[in-house]
Amino acid sequence: MSEYEGALLKDKKIGFGMYLGVEAIMFATLFTNYIIFTPSPHGPQPGELFEAKSLILSSFFLLSSSFTLIGAERFLSKGKKLGFLIGLGITFLFAAIFLGLEVKEFYKYVSEGNGVSANNFMASYFVLVGLHAAHVAFGLGWMAALFTNWMRNIQKHLYHEKLKIFSYYWHFVDVMWVVIILVVYLRFLI
Amino acid sequence: MKLPIVGFMPSDVIAAWIFTFVVGAIITIYVLKRRKLPLIWDYMRTTNHRKIGTLYLLFGFVFFLRAGIDALLMRSQLALPNNHFWLIQGEKYNEVFTTHGTIMIFFAAMPMLLGLMNVAVPLQIGARDLAFPYLNAIGFWLFFAGGVFFNLSFFFNQAPSVGWTGYAPLSTEYTPGPNTNFYVFGVQVSGLGTILTAINLIVTILRHRAPGMKLTRMPLFPWAALFTSWLILIAFTVLAIALYLMMFERQFGAAFFSGDEGDPVYWQHLFWIFGHPEVYILALPAFGIFSDIITTFSKKRIFGYPAMVVSLALIGFLGLMVWAHHMFTVGLGAMANTFFAITTMMIAIPTGVKVFNWLFTMRGGIIRFTTPMLFALGFIPSFVMGGVTGVMLSVSAADFQYHDTHFVVAHFHYVIISSTILGIFAGIYYWFPKITGYLLDEKLGKWHFWLFLFGFHMTFLPMHLTGLNGMQRRAYVYYAGEGLTALNFTSTVGAFLMGISMLFFFWNLYKTFRFKPIAGNDPWDGRTLEWTQASPSPENTFEPMPVVHTSDPYWFAKKSGHAMITTDDVRPMPPSPQTILPFLTGILMISLSFGMVYHWFWLAVLSGAGVFAIMFIRNVSDERIKMEKGEKIHE
Repeated sequence: MSEYEGALLKDKKIGFGMYLGVEAIMFATLFTNYIIFTPSPHGPQPGELFEAKSLILSSFFLLSSSFTLIGAERFLSKGKKLGFLIGLGITFLFAAIFLGLEVKEFYKYVSEGNGVSANNFMASYFVLVGLHAAHVAFGLGWMAALFTNWMRNIQKHLYHEKLKIFSYYWHFVDVMWVVIILVVYLRFLI
Repeated sequence: MKLPIVGFMPSDVIAAWIFTFVVGAIITIYVLKRRKLPLIWDYMRTTNHRKIGTLYLLFGFVFFLRAGIDALLMRSQLALPNNHFWLIQGEKYNEVFTTHGTIMIFFAAMPMLLGLMNVAVPLQIGARDLAFPYLNAIGFWLFFAGGVFFNLSFFFNQAPSVGWTGYAPLSTEYTPGPNTNFYVFGVQVSGLGTILTAINLIVTILRHRAPGMKLTRMPLFPWAALFTSWLILIAFTVLAIALYLMMFERQFGAAFFSGDEGDPVYWQHLFWIFGHPEVYILALPAFGIFSDIITTFSKKRIFGYPAMVVSLALIGFLGLMVWAHHMFTVGLGAMANTFFAITTMMIAIPTGVKVFNWLFTMRGGIIRFTTPMLFALGFIPSFVMGGVTGVMLSVSAADFQYHDTHFVVAHFHYVIISSTILGIFAGIYYWFPKITGYLLDEKLGKWHFWLFLFGFHMTFLPMHLTGLNGMQRRAYVYYAGEGLTALNFTSTVGAFLMGISMLFFFWNLYKTFRFKPIAGNDPWDGRTLEWTQASPSPENTFEPMPVVHTSDPYWFAKKSGHAMITTDDVRPMPPSPQTILPFLTGILMISLSFGMVYHWFWLAVLSGAGVFAIMFIRNVSDERIKMEKGEKIHE
């Protein structure tokens, strides 16, 4: 990587890092919101709704997708192209499975009559976990763009740059999920 | 499905439609006759910092005029006791003060300041552009989209009427119609643009300075832009979430701010965690502008440079800790009130330091009373007056008396107009050569300044007294015999003087573009790097790049008679592409907002998909892929 590319990549890393800081403030506000309103005085309660099984399953897929992405990056820097594609492909697949499980969970709550308007626990749950799910969906689109760039065979350093920024995003989304596990689910499951 | 344009239309809305069509037709004819379409097409696709700054200033000024007309409507209604001016009573009055406040803060003051930062900051620090030119364009078009969308509400006779603060439950339970949604989405969309621009400015200031320009050699306007941007990152992010929660409450049946579970005071906390720093987001850049202008026109170095920077930082930091002083009367308790009272009072200390440093900078200097300098000089006493009433209001016990009266209105107009608005005009006069290549007329500029300053004090000084006499803010009527008539009438006359001063500004613009007085690179005998560049600043600035050895480098180079040392060894800049994608993003955000406001979710989903498609296109086709050569990833 030349000095030129290095300087621009560092700009991007700092800028995107600050953007993730902004996102962290957003999530922090929503976590506070959730803590304020949960549990609600009436209506559905977190203890009745949450299921350990679906949480463990979805967490497994999302958290391991962070590791498959790290693996993919390693393969790419070693020049093992097939390994990279498989790594990124598994990351995509796991993210999609996670999103499917999330949507299933949301659908279940809503079809049981526990939508946003049921009470403020449900509302603060949906604004927080829903925003996270939207981030995962966005990540899927981003990975699709990475695959497209692979097909278009763009310059190597640019591809590394795009992959690097995406990996920051993806690890951030995973870290937020860990906090969600701790704040949203775990204290009502144990 | 409910169409926006139905039923009875009040005469002011009809007047606005007619006015818009007439002005639109005139502009269209002018554009076609003078063959300006290629110019417009160029600006629609630009990512150059100076051009985007110009767009910010232009549209910020358009919205400023609209909000100014709102103010004149309000003052006309309040001119006489028990007045019935046009339709501006009751709900209409509520709409007018809501749009006045919201537009002035979000769509006039903020964008004009961001415009000046866009124009001046890269030139002052020796950067060739902002760090992310494409993102800069996105930031501008998001502001544009939010501003246009918010303003359209009036044309459908559905302007929000909840105050610029959007207090719940008024903004949630009691206004279920589309009106308040225009507030939620207009502010949200433009706020996102502001956050992106703030990130861009921080990276630019931290990473793209000319060689040798340490932070300690940087002019004060970039310093102010830096602290302002940090405040934006925190404040606007909280606002984004507050509006997000309000959207869920209004559209999807959550109850965070009302009902038996929610709490209206919760909205106030979220809003003011944004809203108070916002005051400093508006004031700090103006402080930076004044510092630069006062040094230039006193021919002296800024007095106490380190103290100026530390004061900026302290004001920014304390600004984040004082939000609840807007809420002394909601019953937070004595402890909380005391804490917020004391932190609020502490802000007077760094602000006082700055005021004295400006005065000491002028002391013994060779002062030239140019128009930008007059705006800076007018700011100092006016701002101090606003600061004094601010300390009065920060006494929480006394605040119970002043709360929600014209006294508060007078206070915040004193601080915001004297810092932000005077600062913006000072900046426009000062940097006009860098934007257009021409100098504004000094004589007309002085007319503009004196009429504006006189009108400003004439409007708001009496409001202290009406407030202390018990006149409530947001009230659209008072009665004879309350001792308010003479003061209110004086205020109204003052407001119209401010309006007339704008005519002088227009005349000035007209004269300038008619006679084109060429400014040259350095019309003010400036001190900082922007004056080494051509006017208007070209797309490729700083070729070759100056090397900076001191603060005010250009001044000392001029004084010593040597040219500035330059180098070809410069850090890389990303290319500034020509692209229509940011503009399209803005347009799609407008249609997305319409979809959400009127519950046409198919439209919202389609527009949202369009926005993501643009992001996808951008990711796979950015200009560096096309321009750079290099090893491919495979084969």
